[in-house]
Amino acid sequence: MLKSKTFLKKTRSGRVLKVVREHYLRDDIWCGSELCVECRQESPPPPVLQRDACRESSLCASRHYIIPDTNVVLHQIDILEDPLINNVIILQTVLQEVRHRSAPIYKRIKDVIHNASKHFYTFTNEHHRETFIEREQGESANDRNDRAIRTAARWYSEHLKKAPDGEELQVILLTDDKGNREKAEGCGVIAYKCEEYIKSLIGSPELMDRLALCTDDANEITSSKILFPEHLPLSRIQAGIKSGTFLQGVFRASRDNYLEATVFVQGDGDDGTEILIQGLQNLNRAVHQDLVAVELLPRNLWVTPSSVVLVDEGPKGDEDGDGDEEEQKMLKCDASESMLKPTGKIVGIIKRNWRPFCGMLSRSEIKEATRHLFTPADRRIPRIRIETRQASALMGQRIMVAIDGWPKSSRYPNGHFVRSLGSAGDKETETEVLLLEHDVPHQPFSQAVLSFLPKMPWAIAEEDMRNRVDLRKLCVCSVDPPGCTDIDDALHCRDLGNGNLEVGVHIADVSHFIRPGNTLDQEAASRGTTVYLCEKRIDMVPELLSSNLCSLRCNVDRLAFSCIWEMNHNAEIISTRFTKSVINSKASLTYAEAQLRIDDTNMNDDVTRSLRGLNALAKILKKRRIDKGALTLSSPEVRFHMDSETHDPIDLQAKELKETNSLVEEFMLLANISVAQKIYDEFSECALLRKHPAPPPSNYDILSKAAKAKGLVIRTDSAKALADSLDMAQVEGFSYFNTLLRILGTRCMMQAVYFCSGMDSDFHHYGLASPIYTHFTSPIRRYADIIVHRLLAVAIGADCTYSDLMDKHKQAALCNNLNYRHKMAQYAQRASVAFHTQLFFKSRGIQNEDGYILFVRKNAIIVLIPKFGLEGTVFFENKEKRGPRLLFDEEVPSLTVEGHTFNMFDRVKVTISLDASNIQHQKIRMALLEPVYRREHVPKRTTGGCAEVTREVKCINSS
Amino acid sequence: MATVQICEAEKVYIMHGVRDDLRIDGRACDDYRHMEVETDVVSNTDGSARVKMGDTDILVGIKAEMGRPRPLIPDEGYLEFFVDCSANATPEFEGRGGEELGSEISSTLYKMFQNRSSLDLRALCIVPREHCWVLYVDVLLLQCDGNLLDATSIAVKAALFSTRIPKVHVSEDDEGGKELEISDDPYDCMRLQVEDVPCIVTLSKIGHRHVVDATLQEAACSMASLIIAVTHKGNVTCVRKVGGGSLDPESIFEMTETGKRVGKALHAPLMKLLQEEEVLGKRRQKVGFLG
Amino acid sequence: MAGLELLSDQGYRLDGRKPSELRKVQARMGIFTRADGSAYIEQGNTKALAVVYGPHEVRGSRSKTLHDRAVINCQYSMATFSTAERKRRPHGDRKSSEMSLHLKQTFEAAILTQLYPRSQIDIYVKILQSDGGNYSACVNAATLAVIDAGIPIRDYVCACSAGFVEDTPLVDLCHAEETGSGTAVALALLPRGGQIALLQMDARLHQDHLDPVMEAAMTACRSLGQVLDGVVRQHLQEVSILTGE
Repeated sequence: MLKSKTFLKKTRSGRVLKVVREHYLRDDIWCGSELCVECRQESPPPPVLQRDACRESSLCASRHYIIPDTNVVLHQIDILEDPLINNVIILQTVLQEVRHRSAPIYKRIKDVIHNASKHFYTFTNEHHRETFIEREQGESANDRNDRAIRTAARWYSEHLKKAPDGEELQVILLTDDKGNREKAEGCGVIAYKCEEYIKSLIGSPELMDRLALCTDDANEITSSKILFPEHLPLSRIQAGIKSGTFLQGVFRASRDNYLEATVFVQGDGDDGTEILIQGLQNLNRAVHQDLVAVELLPRNLWVTPSSVVLVDEGPKGDEDGDGDEEEQKMLKCDASESMLKPTGKIVGIIKRNWRPFCGMLSRSEIKEATRHLFTPADRRIPRIRIETRQASALMGQRIMVAIDGWPKSSRYPNGHFVRSLGSAGDKETETEVLLLEHDVPHQPFSQAVLSFLPKMPWAIAEEDMRNRVDLRKLCVCSVDPPGCTDIDDALHCRDLGNGNLEVGVHIADVSHFIRPGNTLDQEAASRGTTVYLCEKRIDMVPELLSSNLCSLRCNVDRLAFSCIWEMNHNAEIISTRFTKSVINSKASLTYAEAQLRIDDTNMNDDVTRSLRGLNALAKILKKRRIDKGALTLSSPEVRFHMDSETHDPIDLQAKELKETNSLVEEFMLLANISVAQKIYDEFSECALLRKHPAPPPSNYDILSKAAKAKGLVIRTDSAKALADSLDMAQVEGFSYFNTLLRILGTRCMMQAVYFCSGMDSDFHHYGLASPIYTHFTSPIRRYADIIVHRLLAVAIGADCTYSDLMDKHKQAALCNNLNYRHKMAQYAQRASVAFHTQLFFKSRGIQNEDGYILFVRKNAIIVLIPKFGLEGTVFFENKEKRGPRLLFDEEVPSLTVEGHTFNMFDRVKVTISLDASNIQHQKIRMALLEPVYRREHVPKRTTGGCAEVTREVKCINSS
Repeated sequence: MATVQICEAEKVYIMHGVRDDLRIDGRACDDYRHMEVETDVVSNTDGSARVKMGDTDILVGIKAEMGRPRPLIPDEGYLEFFVDCSANATPEFEGRGGEELGSEISSTLYKMFQNRSSLDLRALCIVPREHCWVLYVDVLLLQCDGNLLDATSIAVKAALFSTRIPKVHVSEDDEGGKELEISDDPYDCMRLQVEDVPCIVTLSKIGHRHVVDATLQEAACSMASLIIAVTHKGNVTCVRKVGGGSLDPESIFEMTETGKRVGKALHAPLMKLLQEEEVLGKRRQKVGFLG
Repeated sequence: MAGLELLSDQGYRLDGRKPSELRKVQARMGIFTRADGSAYIEQGNTKALAVVYGPHEVRGSRSKTLHDRAVINCQYSMATFSTAERKRRPHGDRKSSEMSLHLKQTFEAAILTQLYPRSQIDIYVKILQSDGGNYSACVNAATLAVIDAGIPIRDYVCACSAGFVEDTPLVDLCHAEETGSGTAVALALLPRGGQIALLQMDARLHQDHLDPVMEAAMTACRSLGQVLDGVVRQHLQEVSILTGE
C-alpha cells in the first residue's frame, strides 16, 4: 500500500458549500524524458520526450522541449497539431484549464497527446511533490496557475540539467502574457512569445500562416471604427435568460442571404420557435451554429423574411462596406401584418461553434498585401480575413481556415490558414472538401484499428461454430446492384414438403468480427455508416471485412446471422427462428440477372426456383403492406455512367426499378420488423429501433394545393388515405403526373431516426405503416445494425452481453451520433451527385431538355428534368437590373410573369449549361426556352440569375 | 440524564470534602479541571473546536449558510443552535434518549446569545431584508462527565473564534436585481469578533458551599445549581437556576459573585490559547482525536 | 460544468492517487475512558468514531434477549456538520437506519456472540466528517473499538469501497468519486478466511465488471487489515508501557 508522501488540503468554496478535497503529492511521477535516469520507476512506460528534440530555431540553437501555457494551447492549437512541432510538455494545470474553457480544443489536444509520433507528454505537475504550489494570499486563481506553470517549467529545466548530457537541453516556456514572461525570465526560465518562437523556426515559414492572430494584433489591422454593438458578458446573458428578457438558441445563417438568419429556440419537447434576425448590426458577429442569446425587438420592428437572394460580394471600394447599407435597404419589403415574424437581435454569444472551414482565398487587390479575404464554401459562413505570405501559391486552391476572433471594429472575422487541400475543381480535392464540409470521417483506418482484424488467411475455426448452425447445404443466393462488393444479405426459399415454405434471410455476421469496445468497434461507431459517393465509398469498417470476410460472396463459406420463417403459400408466417449460421452462397446476382432468371422459363435450377418462390411471396407481402397503408413515394435517382479511362461521367440516367429490387426489399423489411419485435420483447428498455414520425398536417399543404389545381383531392388524414388517394390521382394524357405527385410527397415527409426504446414511447414507422421497425440487414455499412445484431445475439443466447449495450443513456447518445452521421452522409451524397452533374454538363456543353415545374416561388420556378433527375431554379429577376413584372399568387400557387402564368406541374423546356464563372461555386444554369414570355429570356446571363441545382437522392422507404 | 448513582456514604464523603475546600480529585471549590481546547478540527466546517474538560468531551462545528434575515431584525444575521447528545456519550442517549438534554442545552445557548453585546450579528448581514448569514452551531456531545454547559460554552466560543465566513461581493445590475458573488479566494474571508462572547459558569450548591465545574459524582450530591453567563469584562448576560432544590437569595448572591470572578478569569487564558493557535496558522500540528 | 475527470489518462485520480491506492489511514484506539471500548479512524477526510458498551445486561424490553448468544445493537449517526451540506438530523433517517442494520449484520458475523448469552453489546458509530466510504470507515472504527473493549472476534472486519471508472476499478472512493462514478460497491471482509461479511452495491454495474471490482475491493480490504493490525499492536505496546510492564 502506498501512502501519500505529503498531505495537503485544498479548499474550494462553491456557493456556500465548503468542499474539502484531499490532494496527494507524489514523488513517483516521471518527467517523461528519454534522458532522465533519475526518476525512472519499475516497469516504466516508454519515454515520450526524445533525446534529440531537434527543431532548428534562431532563438534557441540547442535541443529543447516546449511548455505552452493555457492560452497558447487554446489559441494556437493548429500550430501544436503541425507535425513539425513535437517534444512538447503539456502540464496538467494547462490541460485542466483547457478542459474547462473549451471542449473541442480539449479533445484536439488530447488527440495530439495520444499520437505517439508527436512526442507530447502530459506531466501531472499538480500532484508532483516539487511542482505543486498552494495559492497564496491575495493571488487570483489565474495567477496561481501561471505560477504553477512557471514552477513546473523551472523544475523541468533544473531536473533535466542533472541528467547525463542534459546540460544543453533547454526547456522553453511559450506564453503570450507579457507579465508571465517577465516573471518567468526573472526566475531563470526561458520564455518566448508564441509568435516570436514560431517565427524563429528555420525552414518552416508556412507555420507562420497558421498562427492565430492575437487580439492586440487584430486591432491594428482594422480601422478603429466600431461596427458592431458590444456583446454582453455571460453573467448578464444568464441573468437575462433567467428573467426571460433574452432567449437562447442556435444561430442558423441563411444560405441565400448573408444579411439574414434565424435563431432556433428550443421549446418544451420537440417543438421550438424561430426568431428572425436581419441586418449586420442585429446579426452582431454571430456565426452559423453558434449558441447565442437573442433579444426580441418590439412588435413594430418585426419584419418578414425577405425572399431576396443576397451574396456578400465582399469589399466594394471601402472595405468597411457602405454598400452593405444599400443592401440592407433591399431587405425591406411591404408585407401584410400576418406575414411578420418575431424578429430579434443578437446580444451575446453563449458558445462559439467554430470549426475549420473549407473554402478559397479571394486575393487582395493590393499586390504585396499579406492580408486576404477567405470565402468559405459554405455560404452560411461569413468571409474570413487571414494573413498569409503565400497568397499567390494558395490562389486557385481549396484551403482550410480557422476563425480566431471577431473584434467589434472589424467587418469580417479574423482567422488563420490551417492547410491546403489541393487545387479547386480537382476531383480529389472537391471530394475531400465535401467530406470535410459534411464532417465525414474519411482518414485511412489507423494501425490500432487494423490490429483488431482477423489474421489472414482466415478460415472458419472450430470455436467459431459454437452456437452456430451449418446451413451450407441450403441453396442461398444474393441479389444486389451491379458492382456491389459489400454484400450484406442473401436469401433462400425451399419447399418444406408439408405444404409450407421455408424462407431465410441471411445477413453478414459482422458482430462476430467486431467485438464490443475495441478500437475497431469505436471507429465503426464513430463513423456510423458507410458513405457512398458517386465513385467512391468511404467504408465504415476496413475493406478486409467489408469486401471480403463479411461480404456474403458466392461459393465461399461465410458466417451469417439468419432469420428463418416458415410460411404458407399465402405468405403468412407460421414460425420465426433466429440463429447464427454458416452459409455458402450459390450465386451472387445483379437485379437484372435475377430478373432474367425468373422470367426465363427454360431455367429450372435450384437458384431460379428459389427466386421464383421468393418473388411470389414478395408480391403478396408487398400487396399486404400497401393495403395496410405503406407509402410508395418516388424520388428521382440517377446513375452516372463513368468513362473507364478518365472516370468522368459520360452519361446520366435515372435509375430504373425492377421487380427483383422489390423482392429483396420486401424480405429485408420483413426481417427488420421481425427482429425489431424480438429485441424489443427481450430488452424493452434498451432496444435500438427506428421510427418515422408522421408529418404534421401542414406539411401536406403544397401537395394538396398542387392536386387541387388539377381538380383532384389528396387525403392526408392517415398514411393509408394518402397512399390510396395518391393511387387514384391520375390525369388523362399526363402519365408523369402521378410520379410528380409522389416526388412532392417525399418532400412532405419527416426524417426517420434511430432511437433507444427506453427513451421514447412513440415507435411508429409512418412510411412503412409498421408499429415497430429497426435496421438489421446491413451491418457492413450501418453501425445501428451491428448493435441490433448484438442485441439479437444476446436474446437468443448466442453471445454475451456487455455493459454499454444495456445502458439506455449511452445508447441514446449513440443514436444521436448515428442520426447525425446518416444525415451528413446523405448531404455528402447529394453534394457528390451535384458535383458530378456539373462535371457531366461541363463535358456536354449546353443542353436543351424538357422538364416540369415542381414548385413556384415568388421570383422563380423550380424545374425538374426527369431524364436526369435534375432539379434547378429559373429566376425571373436579378438584383442589378429590373426584372420582368411578376405577380405571385400564394394560394394557387402560381406566378405570372409578364402575362404568362406558371403553375405547378406545367411542362417547360429549358436550356442547361454550366456556369464556371465562380470556381468555388460552379453552378448548373437553367434558363427557360418554352413557354416564351415577352421579355428577353435566352440562355444568356441577362435573365437567369443564378440557378442552383439540388437533387434528391432521398429514398425514405428503403433507407 | 447522564447521571451516576452514588451511595449515601459517598455523598457524605464528597460533602465533607467540599466543606473543607478539598474535593475528591484534589481541587479547591472554585477550581476547574484540566482543560484542553483545539480549534479547526473538522476541515469541512467553517469553524470548529473540541473541548475536553476532564472526561467531558465536546465537539462543536459551525457551518455558515445563506438565508433570509428575520423580519423583525432585517439587518442582522442569526445563530442556530443544535445539540446532539449522541449515544457515544452514554447508551442512555440512544435513539431519542438524548433529545431532552439536547434541547435544554440549546435553549440555554439561545438565551446566552439573545442580546446585542455577545456577538455583533450585524456583521452577518449581507443585504438587509434579503440575505444574511445563518451560523449553524452544532454541538456534539462525545463523552460526559459533568459540567456540560461550561464546556459547551467554551467550545462554542472557540469555534466562533475559528470561524471563517467567505466574503460576499454584492453587485447590482441595471434592473436593481442584486447579484451575490462569493469570493473564490480562500484567504478572502470574514472573522467574527468573539471578545464579548460570554462563557457559562455552573455553580453547584453542595451542602452550604458551592463548587464550580462539578463532576458527575459531585452533581449527584448537589440539590440545585446556578448557571451564569459571564463576559470577559465580568458582565453577566444570563442567570438561571436549575435543578430540583431551592436556593436562598443570600447564596444566589454569593454564587453570582463567585461566578463573575471565576468566569472573568476563564476568558483570558482561553483567548491567549486561541490567539497562539491562530499565530501558528498552518504550521500548527493538528492533534484531533489521534493525540 | 464539464464534470470531473475521475481518472486522468496518466492514471491518476482526482486527488492524485492511482486506482488501487488507498487514502491515508490513521487510527487510534482507546480514546474515551468512560466507554468499554472506543476507537477513532481517519480514512482521508472521512473521520469516524466508534464506541462499544458491553457486554452488559439487555436494556429495555427483555423480549430481545437471546438465550444462546449476545444481542448486537448498533446505531449509526452522522454529525450534523459532517457533510458539505448541513444535515438536519444526526440519525433516524432511512439511510442511517439502513447503515445501522448493515453494521449489525456485519458484526454479528464477526463477533463470537455465543460467548455472551443473554447479554447485549452496543456499538455506536459516529461520522464526524464525511468524504465517501462512510460505511467502510464505520466498520473499521468499530472493529478497533470492539477489540479495545476486549470482545473476542473471529478476525478483523475490514471494509472498503470500490467503484468502476473508464474500465478501471478504483478503490476507497472519495465523495466526488462516489457521486461521479455511478457505481459504488461496499465490501466488508474477514481477511484471514477471505470471508465476505457484507457486500452492497446500489447502482447498476454490468456483471462482467463485478469480478474485477470485487477483487480490487478485497485486495484493498486486506491492505487495510494490515494497517488495522499495526494500530492494534501499537496500542497494546503503548498500554503496556503505561501500565509499567
